[in-house]
Amino acid sequence: MLLTYVRRELRGRLRQTAIVAVGLALAVALILAVTAASSGVRNAQSSVLDSIYGVGTDITVTQSAQPGQGGGEQFTFGGQAPGSTSSDANTNVSSDNLRLAPGSAAIKDASVNSVRSTQGVADVTATLMLRQTNFSGQVSGQNLDDLRQQFRAQRGGGVTGPQGFTGFGGGDFNVNSLTVEGVQPGATALGPLSGAEVVSGGRAFTAADAKANVALLSKSYADTNKLAVGGTVTVKGTAMKIVGLLDSGTSGTSLSDVYLPLGVAQSLADLSGQVTNLYVQASSSGSVDTAAAAIKKVLPDATVQTQSDLANGISGSLSSASSLVSKLGKWLSIAVLAAAFVLAILFTISGVTRRTRDFGTLKAIGWSNGRIVRQVGVESLVQGAIGGLVGLGAGLIGIWAINSSHIKLAGTTSSGAFSVARGAAFDGGAEGGGPFGGGGGGYGAGGAGTGGGGGARRTASSTVDVLLHAPVHWSVIGLGIGLALVGGLLAGMFGGWRASRLRPAAALRSLD
Amino acid sequence: MYTLTGVTKTYLNGKKAVNALQGIDLNIPDGQMVAVQGPTGGGKSTLLQMLGALDRPTSGSVLLGDEDLAKSSNSRLTKLRASNVGIVFQSFNLIATLTALENVEAALVPLGVPKAQRRERATAALASVGLADRIGHRPAELSGGQQQRVAIARALVKDPKVLLADEPTGNLDEETRDEIIALLEGLWRDQGLTLVIVTHDSQVAARAQRRLHIAKGKLRDTTPASKTPAQARPPADEQPTWAKPADDASPPADASPPAEAAAASPAAAASPAAAESPAAAVSPATPADEA
Ligand SMILES: Nc1ncnc2c1ncn2[C@@H]1O[C@H](COP(=O)(O)OP(=O)(O)O)[C@@H](O)[C@H]1O
Ligand SMILES: [Mg+2]
Repeated sequence: MLLTYVRRELRGRLRQTAIVAVGLALAVALILAVTAASSGVRNAQSSVLDSIYGVGTDITVTQSAQPGQGGGEQFTFGGQAPGSTSSDANTNVSSDNLRLAPGSAAIKDASVNSVRSTQGVADVTATLMLRQTNFSGQVSGQNLDDLRQQFRAQRGGGVTGPQGFTGFGGGDFNVNSLTVEGVQPGATALGPLSGAEVVSGGRAFTAADAKANVALLSKSYADTNKLAVGGTVTVKGTAMKIVGLLDSGTSGTSLSDVYLPLGVAQSLADLSGQVTNLYVQASSSGSVDTAAAAIKKVLPDATVQTQSDLANGISGSLSSASSLVSKLGKWLSIAVLAAAFVLAILFTISGVTRRTRDFGTLKAIGWSNGRIVRQVGVESLVQGAIGGLVGLGAGLIGIWAINSSHIKLAGTTSSGAFSVARGAAFDGGAEGGGPFGGGGGGYGAGGAGTGGGGGARRTASSTVDVLLHAPVHWSVIGLGIGLALVGGLLAGMFGGWRASRLRPAAALRSLD
Repeated sequence: MYTLTGVTKTYLNGKKAVNALQGIDLNIPDGQMVAVQGPTGGGKSTLLQMLGALDRPTSGSVLLGDEDLAKSSNSRLTKLRASNVGIVFQSFNLIATLTALENVEAALVPLGVPKAQRRERATAALASVGLADRIGHRPAELSGGQQQRVAIARALVKDPKVLLADEPTGNLDEETRDEIIALLEGLWRDQGLTLVIVTHDSQVAARAQRRLHIAKGKLRDTTPASKTPAQARPPADEQPTWAKPADDASPPADASPPAEAAAASPAAAASPAAAESPAAAVSPATPADEA
């Protein structure tokens, strides 16, 4: 009888049923579409972040350099520097300089262990970002001391701007720089290499490589310099055997030129026991913030950033989409949901009021309050379920529409200490010459130095295009239908409460 | 069947108290057919609510059998309504979305009758009011008279002890009114019911064994002294007594007992079964002083 009556009522009062169900459906559809779109945007953000920080990184830890400290350019032109020979007019110089990447400062790698044992941290890996600058060629007509002095003046305190070297008769030399990164061998699941793919024919580092003079090269660096697996690359005068080439693959990871086992890199750079970047994976997405806070306590001077901090550093259409979805989308769907709930409640209450005589009559012929409340509740719940299903359908159509319109989002990462550290290293590498302008150009003539590089950090920015794909997850479908049922239940509770207060005598009272 | 003692009912209309019933004493024997008349707002429906366990009096006691409805819990009243009392309303009060059959079945739902049996009994009840061919119709597809028949079937399907009707013909035309009254009377006679009909229609009231009049919450027994037991229970084939006009608007001052004699004395309890034998006379209520 209950279900018969429910069916009869919902069909007999189609307009009310439709209004309530459509209201709830609208809310469900909107929530579904907004949730899917926002997780699509979040996925897009994390794939942009993955391209920079590697896959699976929840928290990054860096320490930025104090002014005047840390890695600027510094050449050592000892009179008897390795590979430097002197003749009458010209001085042959050659120097390998391997230092911290500009802008970054070292963190003791003992703190890696403290971070690892911090609550909420599942895994941590550390890298040492270095930059090697090769300087080789001939300098003429001036003594090296002058050159050295002027060079120091140039970089001290990070002075920028066109400030040439003077009194210096030109020469013929090359300045090359490459980025060198020490990574923990064997730690491939997390960190900068997690998104990279080893090109076939080579291999990744294994734990056995910890002390070996082996290197992984980015494929683009290897191609440019005609290097291949089996060959060697020289870092700070030491030949490293190339065991593999890396490709950023689909992740778009920006790779360093050369990867060395962390310990090897540390000893080459005279930075034993030091690292620059920590990649932390939280034990669950819920523990990211607490883990970050705990790490901050362990390393008070470090910059600790979570994925969402990092995501805030993304600009471009991706960030507009993100704020659109998270602000407008969220509030719109909350507003529509609230409106749908209120609508459902009001309609149900007014429906019960209109049925005063019916419920009074049923009470008069012996229906208990409980039975009436159940009747109203089930009617309302069924309405909610109809709304939920219709909304599910509409929401899925909406999501399909989003996905089939192939929205391309561009994410540009620019800010954040972490990307500065990494970006500056890449930036310097790309410039390939630091303060000297194009290598080989004559010094003197107030040579307009290109600025950049050196102590001056240019913010790195890299733009990644991501196709927006709004995923449909079971939990979201469940949430949508669940909310519609909650709406129905809520309305049923109010309606039932109203109905339970009707007196049976109302059957005799309310004529018409 | 019923014994009412000192029943009052006061409604609060905002701040104004309305004394809908002011000290009703009444005894209704088993199987009696009682007509209740009186001006609008006099308290007829309120009295019916007391009898039907729809509401509790403000004071006094309403004994149904030996159970005081004034002291019963809500759930007990609900049970009594479900099993003992059938009720018919002026505006039929059918559930518009349910079919005739489902409307009748609804009365068996609270009794926990299994579905198949429910259907069977409801079908039989509809057949007994002449609607065997209308069981699948919605109320809107039925005439007023047919709707009231459905309502009567709904009231009777549970085999109640009491049938209460609040102006059951008030919304019907004259011809249909006669049909409905004949139907109620027939059922009353056949099923041994106690029947209380509230009516404005003196011709209907004249059919009753007992006539009560309520105005301003006060009850008078207006059963004509002339009314003999034989007249009180007219055979089915006899001409309706309402053929002779009676003016209800002005209460018959002549025949009416003293206004104060609000209650009828419990005359010999008349059961319809007993009525079969001419010896078992139903004595009309004679005005008597209350104890
Ligand atoms: N629920 C109620 N609230 C307030 N006043 C009521 C209520 N029910 C009835 N009354 C009042 O009680 C009096 C008797 O009403 P009622 O029994 O319906 O009269 P009748 O059925 O004889 O027309 C009237 O004055 C009516 O206005
Ligand atoms: Mg009335």
